[in-house]
Formats: sequence, C-alpha cells, structure tokens
Amino acid sequence: MTPPPLKSALGALLLCALSVSSVAGAERLTVFAAASLTDAFSELGRAFDARTGHTTTFQFAGSQTLRTQLQNGARADVFASANSAQFTPLVQAGLIGPGQNFVRNRLTVIAPKNSPRVGTLADLVRPGLKLVIADAAVPAGEYTRRMLAAIDRAGTYGPDFSALFLKNVVSQEPNVRQVALKVQLGEADAAVVYSTDVTPALKESVRVVPLPSRFNQTAAYPIGVVDRAGSPQAARSFVQYVLSAQGQKIMRKWGFLSPQ
Amino acid sequence: MIVRTPPTSPPLSRPARPPVLLVALSVLLVLFLVLPTAALLARGLTPTLLPTLASPAVLDALRVSLVTTLTTLALTVALGTPVAFLLARYRFPGSTVLDTLLDLPVVLPPVVAGVGLLLTFGRTGLLGAPLELAGISVAFSPLAVVLAQLFTSAPFYVRAAKAGFLAVDRDVEAAALTDGASRWAAFWLVTWPLAFPFLLEGLVLCWARALGEFGATILFAGSLQGQTRTVTLAIYSALESDLAPALVLSTVMVVVAFGLLLTVRLLASRHPSS
Repeated sequence: MTPPPLKSALGALLLCALSVSSVAGAERLTVFAAASLTDAFSELGRAFDARTGHTTTFQFAGSQTLRTQLQNGARADVFASANSAQFTPLVQAGLIGPGQNFVRNRLTVIAPKNSPRVGTLADLVRPGLKLVIADAAVPAGEYTRRMLAAIDRAGTYGPDFSALFLKNVVSQEPNVRQVALKVQLGEADAAVVYSTDVTPALKESVRVVPLPSRFNQTAAYPIGVVDRAGSPQAARSFVQYVLSAQGQKIMRKWGFLSPQ
Repeated sequence: MIVRTPPTSPPLSRPARPPVLLVALSVLLVLFLVLPTAALLARGLTPTLLPTLASPAVLDALRVSLVTTLTTLALTVALGTPVAFLLARYRFPGSTVLDTLLDLPVVLPPVVAGVGLLLTFGRTGLLGAPLELAGISVAFSPLAVVLAQLFTSAPFYVRAAKAGFLAVDRDVEAAALTDGASRWAAFWLVTWPLAFPFLLEGLVLCWARALGEFGATILFAGSLQGQTRTVTLAIYSALESDLAPALVLSTVMVVVAFGLLLTVRLLASRHPSS
C-alpha cells in the first residue's frame, strides 16, 4: 500500500504526462466551411479537439467566398463546401486534394411564424410579397434556382412560376445564414434555405412551408485537405473524424443526411 | 549638456537632411498605402475596361449608387443645414449633448448602424407597425439604401457646415440686418455665400462616405441588382463569381475617390481658416 501523499503525487505526475503527451502532437487547424455547417461543425470541432488535443478554428462563410479566398492564397487546412461547383475548380487548380462527399442536405421554404402571408408554395408568387434567396454564386442560391426550374418544368404552378417568384425577390444574400436571418427578423415573407438551417434557435421564430419532394434538390457537400496545409496530419484526421461514426452522428443530430 | 543655439531663420541655401530612419519608415508607409491602389489600377485599366463598363451588372450598380447618393445629398443639405446653423448660432439646453449625438454615427461601426436601422424601420421594428399601416415598407428598398447612407454620412456635412457658419463674421451679418435686410435675406445673401466653401467641402466628404457605405446597407437594404445593389455591394458580389466587373467598379471608385479628394484639397486651399 503506498501512502496517500505518494499516491496523489503519482496521480499528479500521471496527469502531467498525459497532458504533455496530448500537447506534444497538438496542432493548430484552420477549417473553411460553408455557412450552413456553422452549428454542426462548431459542435463537431469541439468534440474533435477534445479527442485529439488539436485546436481547430473555423471560418464560416458562403462557399463561394471561401473559394475566392483560397484562390487568393488564404491559409487553411481543410475546405468543406456546400456544392461541387465551388470545390472542383480548386481541385483542378491543384490547390486542394480530391474531395469526398461527407453529408447531403435538402432545401426548405421558411416563413415568419406569426405572419399568415405564405401558407403554400403557390402563395410565393402573389404580387407584393417579399422573398429573399441566396446569390446565384452561393451554393444555396444555385440549388434554389434548380428548384425553380424543376417547378417550371412540372407546370403544376403555371409555366411562369419562377419568373413571378424572382420578381418578388427583394434581396440576394452572400450566404444562406443571412437569408435565414432576414426571415427570423420578420423582414422577409419567405425564403429558401437548407432544412438544416431551421436550427432549434430558428424554430422559435420561423415555420416551414411544405415543399413537394419532387421539386426539392439534394445538396452534396465535399470536403478535402488543402494541398499546402500547415498541419496536414491534423487536417487528414479532421476529415477522417467527419466521415467517422462519431462525426456522422453529430452531423445527423443537426439534420444533415448521410453522404450516400 | 546640450548647447542650444539661438533660433535662426531656416537657411535659404540647403535645408538640413532629414534622418535616414524617418525617411525609411515614411517610405514604407507610403508604399503600403500606394501599392494596393496601383495594383488595382494595373489590373483594372485593361482593354476590357470599356466593354465590361457597359455590362448590366456594372451599369446597374453605378446607377443605383448615383441615384441613392444624390438623394442622400439632397436630404443632407435640406435637413443638415438648419441643424448646423442652429448649433453654430444658438446656445440652448442640451446643445452640447446634441452636438455629440450628431457626431456619434461618425464613430459608430456601420454594421451597428444597420442593426439600429433594422430595429427602427424594419417590419418588426419600433416604427414597423405604423409604417406598415401607412403602406410604406422600408427594408430592401432603395429608400433603405438612402437611410443607411444618410445615417452614416450626414454628420460629416453637419460638422463642416457648423464650422462654416462659425467662421462667418457676425459683424457682416449685423451690417446687413441694420441696412434693413430681413433675417432670411441676410442669411441668403450674406451668411450662406460666405460659408459656402465649408458647405461644399462637407458635401464632398458626405458624398465620399455615402459612396463607400457597405455594412449598414447590406444588413438593412439587402443586395438586389438594379434596386439596392450599390457599387460596393456589387464589388463584393462580383468578386465571388466574375472578377471583371469587380475590377472595373473598383477602378471607377479609385478614380472617383481621387477626384473627390482633389476637390476637397482645392476647396480647403481657398478658405484660409482651416
């Protein structure tokens, strides 16, 4: 039996050794991620840091903003985009390794909770309505335009649905979270965002307008390690963690779908 | 022990050479300030400038910026001149507080101004319900762009105008009044013309600030081509899809900024008191 003082001293030594060992391999990691990943990746990052001892910092913005920054020499280790259109050019330019899809997402139409103006999809083209969507360069904006094309093709809501819809658009925002914010503030009558953007925080002030699934679009999110990453080891393990069972569990919790 | 030589008039032949370190540091800052502008012009002033200048995205942005800033200027003159005159001529309870309040937007971050405007004029804002009843919807309209510019830029004019009215010799005004001029005539014929260089300088500063407005605009007015997408918002949006319009608009802004600066300089050299 070792006397208690020695026991605690040993314990302290052991703790020290543990913390040193985790600090020894600790790296600083910068992840550029699409704005729609804000909540999910923030939680996932904390879990990843706790597991590995790395320090991960995120920059969330419209994928097109992040792509522009990376093309202009911004330093990052990992890039996660909300579509391949903002990802593939970087792969082709040799700035980033090949990407793999790690989650999927769907669109949703939201309206302010206490506003009766929009009940169905058909209400969106009523004159005088204020709609907000993402800019065409933003992935969410690109999916929105695909959704409009699908509605036009179906003809259910008339042949000029998208023309009337776009006439009601009062702002095209630089990222999808800004779009959601405009509805949250009650300034817009309706907006098109991802279903994952209806976070618990947003649920209090917005409601979802039904969107028939045949018009909905599936967003695929690629992730990849930046070629000249400062911490390539940590970057690779972050990507692995996102694809791992634990990482995917966190993504599901925030409403993202499996990559396949 | 330092031996002080009696001050002499500066030698006419050869001025003393400044310390090398000071020169080196100055050159460093000057280069840092000049290089980005030079790089911009080098990339912007290409043969594709004119065709890109005629593209809808660029023309719309220039039109929105021109219309909104000119409206802002008109409102600034109409509302700012009386305030500046009152502050320059009268002491009343709270005038110091008012003076400080009017300067607040100058130091307030524009994005904070945008939040304030949303909470005031937005649908769910302070004046949202009465405005809605009156059928006026402010957010996402060119009016919102004007309000954002007015909030952030008007103080620049008010400050300059106040200085202008303070600089006018009261005796000249008094002489006009004793000669039988009405107060309005005295203002119109004497005070205003004498303060004019200051007013113009304030107007140019106000215009420059309004043209550069970004943070309050994107938050309060949104970004829609041909409606609320001003030059700065168009540059931001174009940078992420097609670089050409962004470069052209940036080049235009550099030229305009230089022109405005030159105007202010020329005006400042005309009135001796500043």
